[in-house]
Amino acid sequence: MLKKHPLFTFIIFGVILFLLSNRVDELRVFQGATVAIYVIAIASIILLTGYSGQVSLGHGALLAIGGYAAALSRNEWGAPVWLTFCIAVLAAALGGYLLGLAAARLSGPYLAGTTLALAIGLPSIANQFTILGGEQGLLFDIGTPPSFLGEEFTQYKWFFWIASLAALIAIYWLRNVMNSRYGRSWKAVRGNDVAAELAGINVGRNKVLAFTVSAGLAGLAGALLAMTISTVSPGAFPLALSFSLATGAVLSGVTTLGGVMIGAVTLVAIPEIVDTVVHRFESSESVANNLPGLLVSTLLILTVLFVPNGPVEQMRARHEKRAKR
Amino acid sequence: MIQFINMLLIGIGAGSIYALMAIAMVLVWRSTRVINFAQAGMALLSTYIGFELVQKTGNFWIALPLAMILGALFSALVEILLIRTLIKHSTSGPVAGIVPIIATLGLLGVIRATIGFIWGNQDIQIQPPLSKVGFKVGEETIALSPMNLLVLLTVVGMVIILGFIFQKTNLGLSLRASAYSPEIAQLAGIRVGAIRTIGWAIAGAAGAAAGLLQTVNGTGAISPDSLEFSLLLTFGFIAAVIGGLESLPGAVLGAVVLGLVLAVVQIYISGTLVFIVAFALLLLVLLVRPQGFIGSKAGRRA
Repeated sequence: MLKKHPLFTFIIFGVILFLLSNRVDELRVFQGATVAIYVIAIASIILLTGYSGQVSLGHGALLAIGGYAAALSRNEWGAPVWLTFCIAVLAAALGGYLLGLAAARLSGPYLAGTTLALAIGLPSIANQFTILGGEQGLLFDIGTPPSFLGEEFTQYKWFFWIASLAALIAIYWLRNVMNSRYGRSWKAVRGNDVAAELAGINVGRNKVLAFTVSAGLAGLAGALLAMTISTVSPGAFPLALSFSLATGAVLSGVTTLGGVMIGAVTLVAIPEIVDTVVHRFESSESVANNLPGLLVSTLLILTVLFVPNGPVEQMRARHEKRAKR
Repeated sequence: MIQFINMLLIGIGAGSIYALMAIAMVLVWRSTRVINFAQAGMALLSTYIGFELVQKTGNFWIALPLAMILGALFSALVEILLIRTLIKHSTSGPVAGIVPIIATLGLLGVIRATIGFIWGNQDIQIQPPLSKVGFKVGEETIALSPMNLLVLLTVVGMVIILGFIFQKTNLGLSLRASAYSPEIAQLAGIRVGAIRTIGWAIAGAAGAAAGLLQTVNGTGAISPDSLEFSLLLTFGFIAAVIGGLESLPGAVLGAVVLGLVLAVVQIYISGTLVFIVAFALLLLVLLVRPQGFIGSKAGRRA
């Protein structure tokens, strides 16, 4: 089904989401919007890591570029909402291009550490320039939902619609890119860059391109994140966010886009589950504070130890093995 | 003039602590080809243990070596339990390069959560063992307190001891041989596995010292989500990389250079710019001289 009529599947999925959003309460709608944003951000890391063999621990910084670009274009020029998202994508892609120029020459731990330094360094720029609003940051108000959607239509549902639509379009587009000439080149570079070069692929240019596209997606996620919390500030893009996104990407499996939901849902679900458990057993505050981190981190270690390619890829490999017999 | 001297003092003081962290990263990299992103978490854990020991014994100078020993044991345990399993499981393939990075990141999360369970998420305070008021030269107070001086002397002492171990003892020779070529070292009768664990243990001790000294030298406050320790990790990494990532003198040199550059920025330009300047310095060195200040051309960027 998914293989034959991808567009159709995506539309059906969108309709299901649309119907669901009318049935569940506000909190779930908000969490749904968060999942959609994580899906985009994690997909951007999967693209970078799984398809080009590079890892970034600093995607929070690229999200921040997107968020600030969106807020600035809205506040300074009064750009319409759709345009602010486009500007966010372009700004982050430009940042990613510059970073990618350097990153293409680095690999493995060097790149991870460099992006980590960026994630720590970039938010402090906000304090340096008054136009970026310092520690408080900037407001980012996309306005109330259009009136034709009715009185009942809440702000969160509006966020959810925008975020979900953006996620569906982004993933659909990414899926197509992956099956294009570029996607195949990235896979070739990932598999063996010497062989790829001999086959006539410009390895450096492809890595930079992968970084640029990944950063553009991250910028979109950043603008959407800023939308849901109505502000952008250095505190909204902490180091913990960058680590969460890397975690989500590993849990989803960095070699395929197929599992992208797994990581996004896990990141949103674990705090929620812990919260329920804590209320049920009336545990102490320290459990509520630290259990989510412990669970996510343990899951992360177990994943890299036992299913390093991610659950989806693991299942596919097992399936293929069985089919061969 | 006084400002210039203060800048030098601040730079060298900060650099000396980054040097310990950089040494820890270099030792781990040399022994297992892993950048340990959990180094800050391990240092934080050792600092908490140091805090407990200060409470129990009431003496910082007993607590410091004890915390270092416990830090070394913990680090060795991590190598045996996590890193060995990882190397055994690790497959070649697209994810082989990122597996150690992610695993140490996971370890960082586990350590932070565990600290939160045991000690809570609020700040706790460690009292500095010595005065933090600067010495007076004539009328001026310079940026060098008895505390700073002792930190500096402790670090210099540790670097000298490490240098002695590496250059003059059999253990040091084994450590260097295993880093240079594990296979050849193994053929020469060195137990590479055990040597790797020892490399991690020394790194754990250096990290513990960095954490404790940084804490008492700074605000004295620690918490599981301490930004200070994230910075320690990042600056330690930057120092290690610009120094060459293979060489211990390189790590010390890189750390002092980084400390001085950041001090110049902090005093003459703006305190908020230090992070981005550190990042720019790292990029600059990686692009212009990827093998670092000290280091040969081959085998880099692995």
